[in-house]
Amino acid sequence: MTAEQVLTLERVAVGHGRHVVLPEVNLDLRRGSFTGLLGANGSGKSTLLKTVLGIVPPLEGRITLHPVDGHPAVLGYMPQREVLDPVYPLSSYEVVLMAACGRVGPGRPVNKAERAWARQCLAETGAADLAHRLFSQLSGGQKQRVLMARTLATQPDFLLLDEPTAGIDAQATQAIMGVLKGIHEQGRQTILLVSHDLTTVRQYATDVVWLHEGRVLHGSVSEMLSRDKIEELLDLEFR
Amino acid sequence: METLREILDPGFLLRNSVYISLLVGLVCPLVGVYLILRRLIFLGVALPQISSCGIAFAFALQAWGVLPHLHEQEHRLAFFGSTLFTIPAILLLSLLVRRGGGSAEARLGTAYVLAGAWAILLLVTNPLGEHGLLDMLKGEIIAVSNADLRRTALTFGVVIGLLYLFRKEFLLVSFDREMAITLKKAVHFWDALLFLLVGLAISMAVLSVGPLVTFGFLLIPPLIAHLLARNMTLFAVGAAGVGVVAAFTGFCIAYRWDLPVGPTDVALLGLFYGLAFVAKRIVEALSRRRGA
Repeated sequence: MTAEQVLTLERVAVGHGRHVVLPEVNLDLRRGSFTGLLGANGSGKSTLLKTVLGIVPPLEGRITLHPVDGHPAVLGYMPQREVLDPVYPLSSYEVVLMAACGRVGPGRPVNKAERAWARQCLAETGAADLAHRLFSQLSGGQKQRVLMARTLATQPDFLLLDEPTAGIDAQATQAIMGVLKGIHEQGRQTILLVSHDLTTVRQYATDVVWLHEGRVLHGSVSEMLSRDKIEELLDLEFR
Repeated sequence: METLREILDPGFLLRNSVYISLLVGLVCPLVGVYLILRRLIFLGVALPQISSCGIAFAFALQAWGVLPHLHEQEHRLAFFGSTLFTIPAILLLSLLVRRGGGSAEARLGTAYVLAGAWAILLLVTNPLGEHGLLDMLKGEIIAVSNADLRRTALTFGVVIGLLYLFRKEFLLVSFDREMAITLKKAVHFWDALLFLLVGLAISMAVLSVGPLVTFGFLLIPPLIAHLLARNMTLFAVGAAGVGVVAAFTGFCIAYRWDLPVGPTDVALLGLFYGLAFVAKRIVEALSRRRGA
């Protein structure tokens, strides 16, 4: 282990109840890395992400989140937008303000500084004009911008994003990924991004974790997304 | 106008009933907001019935000699029975709803009919005061003592105070449980506290106005507010506002035309809902036409 590591998984078994999806995951993520988590549908990408986040308990093994600058690493999680129930009449601003719960204790009001920070995060993701619109009535791309703002508002050391560009158009994808790139370059934050989109991962990520038939393959983008490797993983032949 | 002047007179004989109506109109919609947001509307139907069953059970215990017969302690006994049944039921049913598996609606429906049947069976076999108990379960908001009013106000005060104080925690664990976990929130604790407050409010409301009216105020004011709300604050405040207005107007109408208060309140809420629905459709049609 080096001081640069932010996450270590040692012999971690991932799954739900008795159903094991990934029997043994050994993984180290460097601080400041931008890792694309790839794999086929049902390969366990989202389950692995949720296990790291503490949402799904590991079936076996040990997960270590290393301190960042002497304090416990703050996790910023961006879920898939479909999991959020549209019955809630929340404005986009209220959605972003929820991030303050990580810093403001129970029963304490959210202060002016936190409110200003929430507005700033909305502005940084280009969603300032959406602040007072109902979150449930936004388009897919607009929702992703608001959720990205909420993730930033948690002031995370480690961002974990579950398919932030799924189901949105190319322009919205570029906008979201541009924001992520900016965060990564300016803040040296560690990013773990679940995606199906090889092009996006190749363009923005530094590392790739590929889940393939229960195995976890980890390497740099150039190594993992080389033509030979992709052929091997996808069982494809390029002509 | 004369009716209104009579009701607002400090010496009005039924003033405690007015206060109870207003308290139920204020608190039940605030609790109902969470039942609607968490898609637990059926829980809102079943719980008041379970609460009624608890009340009937407590009085049956007294009739069977298990509990001593204490003069003028009926309200306390009823609250004991109501709470004894409602709080474990809400914790169990909400847990089953969350865990999934099987049909949540079927479970809640079964709980509803069983509680209703047992409440009637316990009542008709109770030789003590069947008539008074039936009035309580029907929601006859007439004879409310000062002590009953104080107890109800205190319980509802605690419920409102805690709902307000921990509103951001309750909202976070309800809207995005996964995010709450990543922010190291004790989600089971906040769920349990929220359901405890819901159970407490329903227990007290059923005691005051009966299961039908309780369900009416739990459900309809939040549905009306949901049609119009643009954020959570407006949703909660709007629901409580509609509840208070309906409770007061319903009481006035019932007093003026000698109708039962509870059913009048619910019928009025239905009318408000219809009007709000039509108004929303008209506004939407007008804005579409303006846009075109």
